[in-house]
Amino acid sequence: MAATVDFSLDNTHEDPSRRADLVLGGMTYGDITDNVAEIWEAGRPPKIWYVVFGTAVVLLSILGVCLLHLFFMGVGVWGNNNPVYWGFPIVNFVFWVGIGHAGTLISAILFLFRQNWRTSINRAAEAMTIFAVVCAGLFPGVHIGRLWVFYWLFPVPTEHLAMWPNFRSPLLWDVFAVGTYATVSLLFWYMGMVPDIATFRDRSKTKIQKFIYGLLSLGWTGSARNWHRYEMAYTILAALATPLVLSVHTIVSFDFAVSQLPGWHTTIFPPYFVAGAIFSGFAMVVTLLVPCRSLFKLERLITIRHLENMNKIIMATGLMVGTAYGIEFFIAWYGGVEYEKFAFINRAFGNYGISYWIMVTCNVFIPQLFWIRWFRTNLLAMVVISIFVNIGMWFERFVILMSLTRDFLPSSWGNFYPSLVDILMLIGSFGLFFTLFCLFCRYLPIIAISEVKNVSPQTLHHHGHDEHEHHVEHGTAH
Amino acid sequence: MAHSHKHDTPVETGPSSKLISLVAQFDDPHSLVAACDRAREAGYKKMDAYSPFPVHGIDDAIGIRRTRLPFFVLAVGLGACAFALLLQYYVNATDESPIFPGYKFFISGKPLFSLPANIPVTFEIIVLSSAFATFFGMWYLNGLPRFANPLHRLPMFRRVTNDKFFLVLEAEDEKFSESRSRQQLEEWGAKAIEECHEDLTDQKIPNGFRLAGIVFLFALLLPPALIYRVSGMTYRQPRLHVVPDMDWQDRYNTQTRGPNIGTPESPRYLFADGRAMQRPVSGTIARGDLTESDEYFRGYKTGTLPVSEGAGPSAQDQDGQDQDGMATGTTPEPEWVDGFPEEVVVNTDFLKRGKQRFEIYCVACHGYDGNGEGLVNQRAVALAAAGEAAWTAAKSLHDPAVKAQPIGRIFDTISNGRATMGPYKDQIPVKDRWAITAYVRALQATGIRTPQELAEANSATPEAGQ
Ligand code: HEC
Repeated sequence: MAATVDFSLDNTHEDPSRRADLVLGGMTYGDITDNVAEIWEAGRPPKIWYVVFGTAVVLLSILGVCLLHLFFMGVGVWGNNNPVYWGFPIVNFVFWVGIGHAGTLISAILFLFRQNWRTSINRAAEAMTIFAVVCAGLFPGVHIGRLWVFYWLFPVPTEHLAMWPNFRSPLLWDVFAVGTYATVSLLFWYMGMVPDIATFRDRSKTKIQKFIYGLLSLGWTGSARNWHRYEMAYTILAALATPLVLSVHTIVSFDFAVSQLPGWHTTIFPPYFVAGAIFSGFAMVVTLLVPCRSLFKLERLITIRHLENMNKIIMATGLMVGTAYGIEFFIAWYGGVEYEKFAFINRAFGNYGISYWIMVTCNVFIPQLFWIRWFRTNLLAMVVISIFVNIGMWFERFVILMSLTRDFLPSSWGNFYPSLVDILMLIGSFGLFFTLFCLFCRYLPIIAISEVKNVSPQTLHHHGHDEHEHHVEHGTAH
Repeated sequence: MAHSHKHDTPVETGPSSKLISLVAQFDDPHSLVAACDRAREAGYKKMDAYSPFPVHGIDDAIGIRRTRLPFFVLAVGLGACAFALLLQYYVNATDESPIFPGYKFFISGKPLFSLPANIPVTFEIIVLSSAFATFFGMWYLNGLPRFANPLHRLPMFRRVTNDKFFLVLEAEDEKFSESRSRQQLEEWGAKAIEECHEDLTDQKIPNGFRLAGIVFLFALLLPPALIYRVSGMTYRQPRLHVVPDMDWQDRYNTQTRGPNIGTPESPRYLFADGRAMQRPVSGTIARGDLTESDEYFRGYKTGTLPVSEGAGPSAQDQDGQDQDGMATGTTPEPEWVDGFPEEVVVNTDFLKRGKQRFEIYCVACHGYDGNGEGLVNQRAVALAAAGEAAWTAAKSLHDPAVKAQPIGRIFDTISNGRATMGPYKDQIPVKDRWAITAYVRALQATGIRTPQELAEANSATPEAGQ
């Protein structure tokens, strides 16, 4: 690389002789704390925050009204009907659960692979995961019809009916998978946040702040003995969350793959769903973090290199998803089952052909722009592409669902038309998501302060008189 | 950068409050580790280091042993695995338990319990339980949450979550002496040293909390008190039904009037006949009522039923009821089968079944050996002899007339009765009737003699009877 590059300000260049800095501008530990805490300490958040928050709350109220309407009228207010008994609710469910995969992937899998760049983005990504899973859980949650007996989802002994869930049904696996995922993500997120909440506690000025952050930080002191068990627990949770995150979308895909419908009954579904989930999740992280980073002046912590890495993952998973689309067609032809063949030709050129092409364009073609470095490093470009990816991924689930309209018997064919409530609830779920995310940005540490300090150049490139040899091995340590 | 707070006036440390530790501040992780090493070498045992992030090498420096957390999590995970498998087995593959029984789900022809189908839930339960074990186990081992820690009183210590590093030597340590330890800390490069005193204010519970606690404790007593109060009481009201399950439903019962779609004054019912439940379309046969084979269901060769005048088609109705059979013995009979129909296989099990059914249904009159020693018959015969009842004695099954009968005819006797013996077609399923028939045949084959035969034999050769 050119000798003129100042590595402490630009970390996008590849120089094999040195590890790229993950914190730029020579920030000290104190600077890092200040930078993150500033968002919370500022008397007022930036104006744009109010705009986004306000809009989100309005959408959230629309969702609330729709839900009330739904509770009083029953699930008939949706467009679900023969032959599509699962319309928007399951499309939205799979869409949101998919998005909810990036957080745990970043915090668990990248942690086990010692990808230190995860530290700047994992907190926000985990928060996003939890909020996305909340949105996801909403849809099947209200889809059950008689809400007041929701507990029938779980193996609860009933008073006098020997009534239990059917443990061989993928829909029940879903309850367990999504429930476990939401819980474990929440534990992981909260546990990771405790040291940073303690930072907020120690900087609290008002009594209320002191009380709330004091309570939430559980009396954390940063003792070495505590850190030792904490790191062990973090590693174990990461090791647990890694297979978990892969299992969740696998099981969601079983909802489809275990049924006998042409276009659904395929073994490629689990890997293909997981790749799609990571794809959409990372796209959502980019969509959220780029504006956050500019708004809250986090450029030195969430560097262009971080964003570029995420864009590379988006491109890679995009290619996997594209390959899966291709393989599906190949198998439909190679398998020689006429129903299967028809299902796929119908997908591309049939009654919902347009959504298929929206999906292919957004998911397969557009992310290919990330082969070009300019798109990977240009903020506006990456946000636009990531939004396209999310649109594409929503349509992917829609396309899969619409296989229901053309099954084996032409006499049972039909079309699906979403109702107004369907559409408003989809929009409203974004309101829920952004409301939660805005509150998170304002009141919680959106960057894992202690983890970033651990990988900052100040810790890693210590030029001291090393009387302790264990300092030398810092390079790859977490 | 330095971040200074306007903190409250330093805590009053009166002579009564004991010194519990010395807190030394360092500016970077490396000098902290160095100081820890020195402290360990100097023989300190009760000490701890505090830092804004986990400092590498510190575990060795202050001698922290590896945590047992992983083993705890492993144990919980294994337990969860067993629990999850048992739960699924109990719930979906058993239904014997008297309380909270499981329910045997037969679904899509899948086996009641098969590992592959139960793996996903097992996996999720393992992960969930292990995650809880990790999370709560970690806090437990760390002694957290702990909201009252004297260290938090030191203004300097607030920067432990920001940019400063601390070494704390506890006064309880054998090597600890206030002046010498302070001197040592300075030697090891401490940037600032403060004393941490026992915090007496911590022991005092705020008034509001105490009151709330007392109220809460009393509230806790309420549920058991209420339960005690209502246990064993009688009520006129139906009991409180918290979980309605599916006990009350809006529906019409059978044998009731259907919904009125007119007005109360001039009612019009949904169906012309006013019934809530409609009768099946004519020609509908309920499950299991299709009895086509004459051999099997009625015991005669197909098409051999003589059509008697006046009897009409009813003599041939589905039940195979031979309407005239009971009236007189003169009615022309169909050609009885003299063998077992192909639907039944006569073997030991079948005969055992026949014996068992015979002993339930026939023995009361015909007796165990078929000679009419049954208690009902004995009593009835006695009553008849006294002129108090009319009774034809149950015929011996070893009567030559009965022995000579074809198999189908005995089956018909059981099904439709014969003369004064009643029909058993509605009590005994077809297959069991054939089993009884087989058993009757087996009894006859034993060579048991009828009472008359016995009496005749006895009178002919008296000694043979003994
Ligand atoms: C309530 C007493 C009673 C019971 C129970 C009873 N029977 Fe009879 N059974 C009689 C009487 C009485 C007769 C004699 C009928 C007549 O000749 O008028 C008879 C006659 C018979 C005959 C001879 C019919 C004929 O052709 O003359 C057979 C065979 C027979 N029973 C078999 C059975 C079998 C098998 C069972 C058990 C399923 C059974 N019975 C149960 C009272 C009974």
